[in-house]
Amino acid sequence: MQSGTFHTTYAADMALRPYWPQRLRIALVLAAVLVFPWFADRYWLSLANTIAIAAIGAIGLNILVGYTGQISIGQGGFLAVGAFSAGLMAARLDMPMWLTVPIASLFTALVGAFFGLPSLRLKGLYLAIATLAAQEIITWVLTHGKLLGIGESLSIPRATSTIFGISMTAIGNPDFAFYWVTVGCLIVTAIFVSNLFRSRVGRAFVAIRDQDIAAQVIGVDLFRYKLLAFATSSFFAGLAGALTAHYRGIISWERFTIDTSILYLAMIIIGGLGSVSGAIYGAAFITLLPALLSNLARLLSGAVPQINSYLPYMQQGAFGLAIILFLIFEPEGIVKMWRNVKDYFRLWPFSY
Amino acid sequence: MEKLVQLTMSGVANGAIFALVALGFVLIYKSSDVINFAQGELLLIGAYLTYMTVEQIGIWWPAGVVVAVLLAAVVGVLIETLVLRPLIGEPAISVIMVTIGLSSLLRAIVGSIWGVTPRPAPQFLPRDTMTIFGASVGVDKVWAIFLALVLFGVLTLFFRFSREGIAMRAVADDQQAALSMGISVKRVWAVAWAIAAVTAAVGGILLMSIFGGVSGSIARVGLLVFPVVILGGLDSIPGAIIGGLIIGLLQSYAGGYLPPDLGMGEVVPFIILLLILLVRPYGLFGQRFIERV
Amino acid sequence: MGNDQRRFGMLALLLALALALAACGQQAPPTGGTTGGGTTGTGATSAPPAPSGEPIKIGAIFDLTGATADVGTPYSKGQIAYIDWRNANGGVAGRQLQLISQDYAYEVPRAEELYTQFVTQDGVVVFSGWGTGDTEALKGRISEDQIPFISASYSAELADPARTPFNFLVAPTYSDQMIIAMKWALEDWKAKGNTGAPKFAYLFNDSPFGRSPLADGTAFAQANGVETPLEVPSPRGATDLTPQLTQIRDFGANYVFMQNVSTPASLAIKNARSLGLDIQFVCLNWCANELLIKLAGADAEGVVGAIPFDPAAEGAKVALEFAKEKGIDYGGATSTFVQGWTAMSILVAGIEKTLADGKELTGENIRNTLQTMGEIDTGGVTQPIVFTATDHAGAKSLRLFRVENGTWVAITDFISAR
Repeated sequence: MQSGTFHTTYAADMALRPYWPQRLRIALVLAAVLVFPWFADRYWLSLANTIAIAAIGAIGLNILVGYTGQISIGQGGFLAVGAFSAGLMAARLDMPMWLTVPIASLFTALVGAFFGLPSLRLKGLYLAIATLAAQEIITWVLTHGKLLGIGESLSIPRATSTIFGISMTAIGNPDFAFYWVTVGCLIVTAIFVSNLFRSRVGRAFVAIRDQDIAAQVIGVDLFRYKLLAFATSSFFAGLAGALTAHYRGIISWERFTIDTSILYLAMIIIGGLGSVSGAIYGAAFITLLPALLSNLARLLSGAVPQINSYLPYMQQGAFGLAIILFLIFEPEGIVKMWRNVKDYFRLWPFSY
Repeated sequence: MEKLVQLTMSGVANGAIFALVALGFVLIYKSSDVINFAQGELLLIGAYLTYMTVEQIGIWWPAGVVVAVLLAAVVGVLIETLVLRPLIGEPAISVIMVTIGLSSLLRAIVGSIWGVTPRPAPQFLPRDTMTIFGASVGVDKVWAIFLALVLFGVLTLFFRFSREGIAMRAVADDQQAALSMGISVKRVWAVAWAIAAVTAAVGGILLMSIFGGVSGSIARVGLLVFPVVILGGLDSIPGAIIGGLIIGLLQSYAGGYLPPDLGMGEVVPFIILLLILLVRPYGLFGQRFIERV
Repeated sequence: MGNDQRRFGMLALLLALALALAACGQQAPPTGGTTGGGTTGTGATSAPPAPSGEPIKIGAIFDLTGATADVGTPYSKGQIAYIDWRNANGGVAGRQLQLISQDYAYEVPRAEELYTQFVTQDGVVVFSGWGTGDTEALKGRISEDQIPFISASYSAELADPARTPFNFLVAPTYSDQMIIAMKWALEDWKAKGNTGAPKFAYLFNDSPFGRSPLADGTAFAQANGVETPLEVPSPRGATDLTPQLTQIRDFGANYVFMQNVSTPASLAIKNARSLGLDIQFVCLNWCANELLIKLAGADAEGVVGAIPFDPAAEGAKVALEFAKEKGIDYGGATSTFVQGWTAMSILVAGIEKTLADGKELTGENIRNTLQTMGEIDTGGVTQPIVFTATDHAGAKSLRLFRVENGTWVAITDFISAR
């Protein structure tokens, strides 16, 4: 096991994962990810896709909240912007997926930068509430869909879900095909964002989080970097939204309300603020929690039949309870718990 | 002209309800820097507790209301001790999230105890209307205006002249200094949450009367507290009242005069919120926060 | 604190592993009766008297804790009660009905997850949804998976089999309800001795659900010489609708049609009474229920409503007696309970006929059966339901009711929209 830092080349020094146990873990995870879809049924594939898309959105939110310290309750709104712009392009202009998704993401980045303008004047809680207002305004625009010609919901023709001409239905069922797209996007996102925070821009973000006035003193242009943080974060939110639109085939405003924003905040808090893998853990946890609870209830319903009538309240309460318990006992999230496990093995038999 | 009077009275009456809800919120923020996303659920708990004591247990209604309000205060203290106190010193985002989690949890608990079907409001609540300046206003809304003013007066006096109130202001100003002066910060916070729960209970009772029943929709009024407190200033009690009035009047005028099919009434408070924030980030009466590096 | 945290972390990890194993390991739900992750509410599953062949699996999602839980809960109880009643009376062709259901709290992603789970892992053959959000979200999937689908969302677009071949509407569409209500209003206006045309206004939920019937309603009104009705949205979460009502008053409306749920509708009625407005409120099906009377109290007297499922009919009596026998508490929402019961009975009627015809129980066969079986009798709760290959709107007419002395009393016979 490693007992110190000892690099002999620049490449080793700059590597994302320099040590062999880390590389082994990543290789194992990648192998599992590649093998999984061949053995999973549609239900598990759709769960995996949901987690992957949620993880992309959560990583985006983490850039804003975890790394740059700007609290945002508007994630649902940005997801909506991405989803509906991709959806409108696909439905009205028949543009294929490999075009709509990047364009929608860029458009959402612009919208995000616009809504990020208040961050130049507002801080902390006031900013959070400004983003809440942004979320409500976006919801209002969507429910008054007449303006955009939306109606009750927006259908995205299956025919547009193609990548350079390869249709999503050509390789087995859509869930299977989309798995590769979503997981591929997730991997690219994770690598991109991990590297972002080793770059100059990323360090500027972190400086703004820690003490923005001091950052300004040392020459970090607050205006530019705050807007960039909003834009980058919204780019990934737009990506997640656009993928949702193509994957689900039909979107409506009910998917993108303030409850969605709160869900994403819960994902990054439970997963661990300021960490890419934390966002992924959080996304998995929040997505799987209701399913786990209902399966657990099914298991127990033989012994305790009353449990079925309380299940809905348990699911609703479990979400809140999970947040509270994590914040009280492990404020740094699942990522810290995992780190504790790794440390335990690394330092055994010593305790620190 | 009559329409203007009617809309103004409506707006003032609604504004009073918002102000009541916002008062508790401001109280908590003022003393402990906590943004309480669960304020709507405190309204809900106050309403259901009153329903329980007056309808389900059958206590004579003035006593029932008092008991319910005291129970609500106890719930407030419990929340503060069990959930908020362990989070002292954590970053703002964590505290916001814990109150969000709390709102989910409280709603689930209320739902599992009383079910989600709306129950009809207890009989003692006023249902008639009266005419003021030629406009008809529900009696319950008049009570809301009256209670909001009373509470405002009581709380202002409390903060200015009583020991507990001054202690609260001291804690809000500088926790360390207050601690070093021998003020029990923990007790101050518990008292703040108790009073907030009490004002929320009163608000919840009035909402029960307005909606005609007790149900989950009472909690949704809680979301409107944000435009009100931002407008008025997060830590200002007069700001809560004035903010509430302004938002109430704005909604009323927007709903009554703007072309209806735009449906602007819902979104106008939030747009105003954004505009105010850009011009006066601390609200009309909030304290300017001086940051030290 | 570090050691405690570490120990907590390990414990949590072990717990998570255990839960995951529990989740993976337990897939096939127990057969027989109506168990399986749902909310039985009654807690009583009766022992089937008939020999059970392979159970017939029906999937359902309900809103029990979300935004529409106040009507979602009695609806769910009606559906579950029907299944229990059917099983207690021998099942369908000797086979037990198994309802696999869960709460989705009106969260569309959760609805999709549950749908995928029930179809892929539990193998349900038909599905009962609930709201506009999930019905819209699933309408493409059910066509691909060939799962006949009913729900409580009566939007006009779901009636065209060319677009949504597996959706079936068991009540008149919102558009049809609006037209029927307007027909009644026109007659009522004449019957009161008025000449000329009345003025209409809509007070609707500010969402696509609320807007759904407006265009068709306006077309009908204009075709009958009525000025374009005023559209007044009712903001969700409002505590006061007085401003909106002053607009309606200034417009001079005589009839106000409400496409909304009960809480804002009752608020409108109370506000209108306190303003002293002399207008006739007409509620479409989502506010024409007992909940409205409960919330609005005495102010609800005289309100007219379109109730597609008549709670006083013969077919409904069976449901209500069963509920009393089993002690099912549907919170006084009689018409919604009957709605759930009847909707499920229509779906099961299709299943029964498919089996009686000797066909295999697949989604496509059930759909074809529903389209060709002619009239489905609901015991007078609705007119006989008919689906055809070109029209999935099974019900085209309903009765109008008025609140008299605190209950809904029928004031017309079945009126149809066309």
